[in-house]
Amino acid sequence: MLYIHQAEAISPQEIVTNKLEVKEPSYEGVPRNLLRRMGKSVRMGIGASAPILRSTPRPVSGIVIGTGNGGTADSYSFLQQMKEYGEELLTPGTFSQSTSNAMASQLSMMDQNNNYNLTHVHRGLAFEMALLDVSLLSLENERAFYLLAGVDELSPSNYALDEMEGWYPPGIVAGEGAAAFLVSGKPQNAMAAVRAVATLHSSDPEVVRKQLEKFLATHLPAGESISGFVSGENGDARLSDYYKACTTVVGPGTPVILFKKRCGEYPTASAFGLWLACQRLSGEGAGNYLIYNTYKGRQHSFILLTGIAH
Amino acid sequence: MDKTELKQQLKEQVIQFLNLTSLKPADIADNEPFFGEGLGLDSIDSLELIVLLNRMYGITIKDPKEGRKVLVDIETMADYIEQHRTK
Amino acid sequence: MKRVFITGMGVISAIGNTVTENHSALQNGVCGISMPPHSSPDLSKVPLAEVALNNQLLRERLQVFDPAVTRTTLLALHAFREAIQDAGLSGEEISSDRTALIGGTTVGGMSQSDELFRDVSQRYSASPFLSSYDCSSVFMFLQEQYRMKGLIDTINTACSSAGNAIGFGMRLIRSGLAERALVGGADSLSKFTISGFNALHILSPEICRPFDRSRQGLNLGEGAAFLVLEGEDTIPPGKKIYAEVTGYYNASDAFHPTSLSANGEGPYLAMQGALGTAGLKAGEIDFINAHGTATENNDESESRAMIRVFGEPPPFASTKSNTGHTLGAAAAVEAVYSLLSLEHQEIYPGLHFSAVIPGTELQPETIWRQLPLRHIMSNSFGFGGNCVSLIFSKS
Repeated sequence: MLYIHQAEAISPQEIVTNKLEVKEPSYEGVPRNLLRRMGKSVRMGIGASAPILRSTPRPVSGIVIGTGNGGTADSYSFLQQMKEYGEELLTPGTFSQSTSNAMASQLSMMDQNNNYNLTHVHRGLAFEMALLDVSLLSLENERAFYLLAGVDELSPSNYALDEMEGWYPPGIVAGEGAAAFLVSGKPQNAMAAVRAVATLHSSDPEVVRKQLEKFLATHLPAGESISGFVSGENGDARLSDYYKACTTVVGPGTPVILFKKRCGEYPTASAFGLWLACQRLSGEGAGNYLIYNTYKGRQHSFILLTGIAH
Repeated sequence: MDKTELKQQLKEQVIQFLNLTSLKPADIADNEPFFGEGLGLDSIDSLELIVLLNRMYGITIKDPKEGRKVLVDIETMADYIEQHRTK
Repeated sequence: MKRVFITGMGVISAIGNTVTENHSALQNGVCGISMPPHSSPDLSKVPLAEVALNNQLLRERLQVFDPAVTRTTLLALHAFREAIQDAGLSGEEISSDRTALIGGTTVGGMSQSDELFRDVSQRYSASPFLSSYDCSSVFMFLQEQYRMKGLIDTINTACSSAGNAIGFGMRLIRSGLAERALVGGADSLSKFTISGFNALHILSPEICRPFDRSRQGLNLGEGAAFLVLEGEDTIPPGKKIYAEVTGYYNASDAFHPTSLSANGEGPYLAMQGALGTAGLKAGEIDFINAHGTATENNDESESRAMIRVFGEPPPFASTKSNTGHTLGAAAAVEAVYSLLSLEHQEIYPGLHFSAVIPGTELQPETIWRQLPLRHIMSNSFGFGGNCVSLIFSKS
């Protein structure tokens, strides 16, 4: 079991045409000197993570980030510079921020943290793999606390590529955001717990259905049921068969929370889904939520979240 | 352009190049050190300032270590520009 | 704790397209880095270490003609195929949900930098590359080609990416979440990366000189490598084993986005940590495949860290003087080289060295020789201070 002790999110508040965009906070407590060089995804990630790092008395034992598009915006800025000025004298700032691990490394510098630091970038499963990573870490080191986060920004370049590929027909809203969690293997003061996470690559809804059945049979305790279906459905009719398949497994009467209405579509949106689920479950104090998401109908994930009775 | 105007322009350019959004030109003293205690810039910033000298004033500094001797504060940087500018 | 062994490997680099070719080149001190002009008219005016096969030749060899498949993916596939063949894995074993695929890359599809610019700025929707640019495109392709049902992941921690891929695969096996893991990395030369490193002033105008007092920076290279990891409880009896992965540690330097702290804190912690996880004392390491990029900053910091850990370090060398810096593939390429050393009980000469870095007095190995080798450490330190140390032990 991976216990979640704290959860923070920076999520969109504005719809601008068909995009849900984050209006950035003032990022109080983050050194201006570091902030100035950061791209938006790094700023959001830092913004969600900083309150968690500030609240822990000792440096966390690991910082694990998932980002699907992290770095692309700065990469494109650097490319624009290359085109404008040739390949000779270029400013390295955007290049140094364009690596996907820029956020994780900035966090380690801010926190003076010499411990485990990793960035998973497996597109729509980047956050889930980061979650799996900290789950393993917490088994390897029972006493330790870890920072886990999922971040992606809605950059014009990513949006253009996805839109040209047909992922934003009218009605489908692109989004962005950051969600960060303080996690450990210890239940004290936890707000919720992740029982299990599973990922799969498939385009067949029947495979998704079978895998979900197997997932719940393995991880949902006997006699318990799913009290909430936290669904990544984003209104794209081409993907609805996957959500229908999962609904048949969790039960059509199960309350559904559509998290992408709040955060829009992006590779690590499931991090926001987990944040939202934590908020709801910690209020209820008991119950099991299944978080299911598919990214572009090829990558799928299940997260089983359990409430903690106090 | 006289020296005072140059220093004012340079402060605006430094703020722009290094994205020092929380600062205005009036906040940067002529003798405030770029590195260490003053503005707290780092080695990536020094590379960016070398690009600034090239793009805005046509000055080429090949070796970043040479650059650090010039990039001490606004005053030294302005002096160097006055002597070496080709734009 | 479950022991994890390496049962197969594959590699492609500037010094060879296969394990055998790379091995022979290492023994003979072959340098794969060349001065300009280069074979691809796009590549710039600095020394680079190119893989001998251009894209057309790679496509023909691999029989992959989909234009969406970028050079990084082609290189990955080439090494992947060699590794799975070497390990004798069946199709069922590869596609099994008990087989994980963990890959590291920093460039991904950004080898097509011009195309990315065109696609976005001109809204070129007919581009075949729309979903090829990111890091995960490389390993998503392998997953699809081999219909893999297990855990698939892409890691980007800059120059230590493949090291973390190897470590993550090992941890998945130890935890029981996988029985075997195909782990490695790939990166190809890209105008984007060359320009970026150039802007940071860390490219050498000459062939690189790791650990030399006159070193002027690194040379970029390209390549890919894969290892097949299997847990002790599922390896068929009698199967060939190269070595055991005994140590893995990930530590952060936490100092600066692109340079290491002067006393090499991150490298020091990574090496100490790896020794701890392997249950070994510093004196038991017989050879170190160093990160040794030949930048002024890395080699000095790495030297100081080695001195802090070992007092007097064991024999060491950087194979980046043969292959250039292969970025996301480096730790996997260098793992293969460490395994070759263990298999053949020999060490390969570091090239282009003549004088020690003042204050460190550390001299890399410059001559091929045979040596009893039991434990080899391989280090990779990335931008952002992501430091990884691996230890491979003869079994």
